Amino acid sequence: MNRSLLNILRFVVLVVAQVLIVNHIRLGGFVHPYIYLIFVMLLPINLPGWQLLISGFGIGLVIDLFMGTLGMHAGATTMMAFCRPSIIKLVSGTQKFENIKEPNVNQLGFPWFVRYTICIVAVHNFTLFMFEGFSFHLVGQALLRILISVPVSVFLILLILYLFSSTTKKKEFS
Amino acid sequence: MLLFLVLEVLCIVFMTMTQNYHRQKRINTTNDLVGRIYETGNSIGDYFRLGKVNRELAEENAMLRRQLAATTDTTQSYLEVINADTIYEFIPARVVNNTVNRPNNYILINKGEADGIKKDMGVISSSGIVGIVSDVSQHYASVMSLLHSYTTISVRFKDSDQLANLRWETTNYRYGMVDDIPTHLKLQKGDTIVTSSYSYIFPENLMAGTVMELIPSPSGTLNKAKVRFATDFSSLKNVYVIHHTNKAEIDSLLQNQPKL
Repeated sequence: MNRSLLNILRFVVLVVAQVLIVNHIRLGGFVHPYIYLIFVMLLPINLPGWQLLISGFGIGLVIDLFMGTLGMHAGATTMMAFCRPSIIKLVSGTQKFENIKEPNVNQLGFPWFVRYTICIVAVHNFTLFMFEGFSFHLVGQALLRILISVPVSVFLILLILYLFSSTTKKKEFS
Repeated sequence: MLLFLVLEVLCIVFMTMTQNYHRQKRINTTNDLVGRIYETGNSIGDYFRLGKVNRELAEENAMLRRQLAATTDTTQSYLEVINADTIYEFIPARVVNNTVNRPNNYILINKGEADGIKKDMGVISSSGIVGIVSDVSQHYASVMSLLHSYTTISVRFKDSDQLANLRWETTNYRYGMVDDIPTHLKLQKGDTIVTSSYSYIFPENLMAGTVMELIPSPSGTLNKAKVRFATDFSSLKNVYVIHHTNKAEIDSLLQNQPKL
């Protein structure tokens, strides 16, 4: 399938899944798993920087519209998109990407993906909860939220990626 | 890099724009398209909750019948009772989207301007108070939940008639906080807190919550109390928007008051 079409489809499916399903998960009121980050995580590695930033900003803004938090998610995903190239460099070390178009579990291996996901989610959650914390003067609470939410988000994202990419060839979703 | 900075600054501008409750823009959640998507999503899940919703409505019905029976027992006819209360109209609505785990929570309901909903109307459920309408679009309205750091509601301790303010303590969606309780007031666990007559958003004597524990103030002036909300915000489905028919009159009166 056409790559950009695949990404658009992924965008829509992830936003709907995030807003209608994952947002209803509230274990004790402190856990905020965000699976829509998968969209930014799986964008092509060689995508020009400005496209990466706009994509991140775009999905954050759409999520914001649904959650009524205009700017917060957009800010966090933009930060995440900005950090993505450095994160990829950081987690891969000497690994080369000559024939890898976009990050996927099959070619890069599961350990690589775990590290990648943890870094991405940490950057996103940190930015997001800091925005929330600063605007409501509840920084201590924001830190607690980060500590609890990061592992849950990482687990959910890895689970979804694993479920959808364990088949022979990558299909529609991831 | 430049683009990154521009986008981040844009986000921060958006955030400060929506922070201020009074300047809230239409672009915030109250958007008909967003409302419709939520509603479609909910309509799928609704079938699984029918049992619970039915039970709640039956309970409410039973309670209303009891109240009606109680009033007809006395010398008043129920028509008189209803007439006395007609300054309030109740518009039924359904919750389309609701959060409880953010510092400032909003509830989206499926009635809007077209159904006579206006800003600042009170919203209640069958079990207690819910929030205040903060923004309205054609067919949807967003409600500033009681679980919002800016919401305070004027309440009264039912047993002692002492007035106080109820607010959320911003962590657990089950519990709120009442500040400024005079030290002479003896409170017990389970004491009922209802809305006071000082608010023209909510009718008097609506259930707000029950006292969980009294927190003595360290300086010995005013105590606080932890309150369990009457409404379970995590499973909110059917709500009523309260239309105070004389609100315009009250508003104009308040405006004409000399500013202190």
